[in-house]
Amino acid sequence: MNAKVKRRIESLSLNLLALLLIVFIVGPLVWVAVASIQGENELLRQPPRIIPHNPTLDNYNYVFTGKIPTAYEVKGQLRSRISQEARLIPQALKNSFIVATSVMIVNLIIGSVAAYTFARKRFPGKEAMLNFILGSRLLPVMAVAIPYYVIIQTMGLLDTHLSLILVYLALTLPFTIWFLTSYFKGIPVDFEEAAQIDGCNTLQALTRVVVPMALPGLVAAAAFAFMTSYNEFLFARFLTQSIDSQTGPVIIASIAGNPDASYTLISVAITLGLIPPLVLAIILRRRLTEGLSTSITFR
Amino acid sequence: MAHVQLGASIRRRLKLGRQAYPYLSVIPVLLVVALFAIYPILHAVRMSFFKYLLTRPNDHPFVGLGNFIEVITSYYFKNSLEVTAVYTLAAVSGVILYGLGVALLLNTTIRLARPLKVVILLPWALPAVVSGLLWKWILNADFGILNGLLMALGLIDSYIPFLADPTLAKASLIMAFIWKEGPLVTIFFLAGLQLIPDEYYEAAKIDGGGAWTIFRYVKAPLLRPVFLIVIVYETMAAILTFDTIFVMTGGGPADSTALISWFAYAEIFKGLNLGHGIALAILIAAITLGLIVFYLRALRSEDAAA
Amino acid sequence: MTIKRSPSRLFPLLTAIIIAALVAGCGAPAAGPPEAEPAEPAEPAAGGESAEPASLDFVVWSYGIETIQDNIKNFQEANPECQINLKDYSWLEYHDTMVGRFAAGDPPPLLYGSDHWLQEWASAGWLAPLNEPFPQVADYSGELAPYALQGMTYDGDVYGLSYYADTIDFVYNEDQLQQAGFDAPPQSWQDVWDMATALKEQGITEYPMILAFSQAEGASIEAMISMIYGRHTGEDALFDDANQPTFAQEGSAAHEAIQWLKEAYDAGLLDPASLQTAEIDQVKSMQSGAHTFTILPQYNMAELNRPESGEFAGKFRIALMPGDSHSTVGYVRFYAMTPEAAAMGEDALACAWKFLEYFGGKTDGNYAVVKRWAVENGLGFAQLPLFEDPDVNEAFGTWGDVDVIAQQAELARAKEGLTPWFGAWDVFTRAEIHKAILGQQSTMDTLNNMAAKWDELAQQ
Repeated sequence: MNAKVKRRIESLSLNLLALLLIVFIVGPLVWVAVASIQGENELLRQPPRIIPHNPTLDNYNYVFTGKIPTAYEVKGQLRSRISQEARLIPQALKNSFIVATSVMIVNLIIGSVAAYTFARKRFPGKEAMLNFILGSRLLPVMAVAIPYYVIIQTMGLLDTHLSLILVYLALTLPFTIWFLTSYFKGIPVDFEEAAQIDGCNTLQALTRVVVPMALPGLVAAAAFAFMTSYNEFLFARFLTQSIDSQTGPVIIASIAGNPDASYTLISVAITLGLIPPLVLAIILRRRLTEGLSTSITFR
Repeated sequence: MAHVQLGASIRRRLKLGRQAYPYLSVIPVLLVVALFAIYPILHAVRMSFFKYLLTRPNDHPFVGLGNFIEVITSYYFKNSLEVTAVYTLAAVSGVILYGLGVALLLNTTIRLARPLKVVILLPWALPAVVSGLLWKWILNADFGILNGLLMALGLIDSYIPFLADPTLAKASLIMAFIWKEGPLVTIFFLAGLQLIPDEYYEAAKIDGGGAWTIFRYVKAPLLRPVFLIVIVYETMAAILTFDTIFVMTGGGPADSTALISWFAYAEIFKGLNLGHGIALAILIAAITLGLIVFYLRALRSEDAAA
Repeated sequence: MTIKRSPSRLFPLLTAIIIAALVAGCGAPAAGPPEAEPAEPAEPAAGGESAEPASLDFVVWSYGIETIQDNIKNFQEANPECQINLKDYSWLEYHDTMVGRFAAGDPPPLLYGSDHWLQEWASAGWLAPLNEPFPQVADYSGELAPYALQGMTYDGDVYGLSYYADTIDFVYNEDQLQQAGFDAPPQSWQDVWDMATALKEQGITEYPMILAFSQAEGASIEAMISMIYGRHTGEDALFDDANQPTFAQEGSAAHEAIQWLKEAYDAGLLDPASLQTAEIDQVKSMQSGAHTFTILPQYNMAELNRPESGEFAGKFRIALMPGDSHSTVGYVRFYAMTPEAAAMGEDALACAWKFLEYFGGKTDGNYAVVKRWAVENGLGFAQLPLFEDPDVNEAFGTWGDVDVIAQQAELARAKEGLTPWFGAWDVFTRAEIHKAILGQQSTMDTLNNMAAKWDELAQQ
């Protein structure tokens, strides 16, 4: 009786904690989603309404089709005072997504290969290389922003996706490698040894044996690479010059910084910007908690 | 098991291949990192020894350690180091507790674990500037939703200007940091937890251990490598916090949220003093390195990257 | 099993690379505009090729991009030998990003400029004076409001043609003021105090005044200076002719201004949240009716009085800046040119002038583009003839009183102390003013610190 009650209390308090966490995590985002379907005036009341009285999809309509929402129509003026930059959101998010996905894939491929080598092999220069890779991230980026610009400009890559991909690779690879190296080390080496006896070379051991077991770690590294690239701002605003390559954060900053800024449009931008990572999260979440199955035994 | 006798030349080539593999496998990574590390970092280090005002591009006398000395004796150095220390301590410990807690929760079988699992990645999906904008909006003293809620719940009777009070502003920044960085920490701890084989749990249960014992003797030790990585990364992230400050407070009020990284930026882009800015950045790198070495020593583990 | 390792060949290689990089980096650190840029991919050197239009990049901050593109389209139709490529950065990052580009040696030929960086950029040689290659720019100078011409001139040379120009205005909510029993706007800061006290006591607004004084807000120093100008008659409110600080004295306009703010903060007349408020939120707060008085750049009036924007749409009025002289800060943003345009060749340079004249000057006797911004977006202007234009008057009339606007424009002055180190001083000053308002240090100490910092920066 006692143990059962204890377990019930335990379960209840844990659930309560989880609920609080969910509210803390999701609260601001729910607010943004709610704000995106309101008119600007409703938003600026004191206090603002959580449940909108007149929900409207006008704002989304404007972003995708250019139809001015009724709240902004002004009779007799040639152009209404709505942020034109909001129309650039879909293209900007597309840029963000392309860049982030590319960085993620390249990170996974060359990052895991290199990390596996660092985890399993011993060779001269290994320490130096690892320290070099990790040390490259120590200096705060603003000190090197200008040289980075010069490099990209010399390569003729200003205002392209490739420039961002390269820079983000340099920013994310060190951490990916560090993490995966440690992660691979945590996997018992027996299976690879068995595979090598069966004739696999290093690369095959990696792909056929280690990767399935290291899935949660790889997923974590992939998510890190994707998110870091998707969210990066300093270089995105410095190295891009037009909507050809401007990413989500840059456009949102523009919308938020102009005199005709409107919180409803900013909310629309943020809400739309959440969709690609959300899709990624749903795809990856199962992989994240698959792990070493219980069938692993030790000799 | 067939044992094949290989000719000497073939054996030599195989050996060469095996020796070359490690280097070949890391070349792509080295190339990318080198491209963006060698020239910029060396260039930056070199520039820190010259007086370099962007508005006078043709006049840079060598000043040796002059930039470093001027930066250390500047009006902002001591104050912003304090601010940075307080902020980093609170933010890093906060986010690690938070991330570890959520990861442990997600590893249980309570009913709310599944919805929690879906939402944890979301704050991570916002760029730091956007998260800063969002929190600034939520914390707004006139039309912010947080004030509205607190008022509706009867907890306060007039709106609080969170970001206009030196202490509350710091607290708000720390909260924004935890909210945004939490998912990363959670995800890494979660991955680490998955590495622990089930036998360990079974063995602990057979020995009569409850949840706390399991944590102390099974999870904590095996999470140490992940913990090390997380604490290093989050420390760097905290010290280098910039975007949120830029958007939420601009370092204010009265420089109470002006981290040292803020001044590195301000020296270069507002003060146009590249020499100062880079010297400050190098000092920050040195401090960070010192902290990393400290962490490594303190958590001496054979799984460390060294 | 031990493996005999052959001495790694990697270490010497790595060392060699590092040494090579050091050697290559020797000589003047590579930053600053190179003299003769080899032909860049984006801008082919325009030298005598008749069919190829000269292609010039034009960098702006991200406001009204569609309108700008439309203007560019019209320009290109009228001038087919010129092609303009629009690039943009968000306003909050514009200055810093451009500094980065100049430092990296990649300036665009045409771009937006603003008076508060002109000194920085011109003294560094990043902008090219217009009056040398284009003496005809002097024709326009006569028609400009004085503060605008001041803001575009450095060392006797004119560096731009005005995009838009504005004054920092004192704005009040007419409805709320009438409710409190006042029919006319405040004339002095004592008036403001008395009216604010009445508004607060009658419960109309809890904090009658709000200012955008966040440390992240670039216009905060302009608002501060405008409050000082209003109290001060003549020049030398902050700095004298030799750019020496004149404000660090008891009884100076600066002292009174900051002291007033501190007392207003303590008395609950100034919203404490002002220390975290930036321009956008300031406008939204006013629209929501939370405050009665504020100080902001004039172009916000169109947004403030936008119909359907809130309960008080159309009720916000401009008053002349309180104080004896009613003077305020005027600033100008302009179209500018870098030495890059000349480096690109004669055709490019010719196109640059055509562009500058089309956008900031007259086409067929009309300031067409400037007028468009005024009528469609409510942006102010420095070109005085436009005050007579009926379309402008009508458009402005929907959100402001044209007479007051014209009057304030005449009384506006450019910011004193615009020097290459103004930006650095600004960063320091914002925090100092906060400390004074919060009571962390006395107003006199604040002014002394500001003066000392100025001297220190001037020495560098």
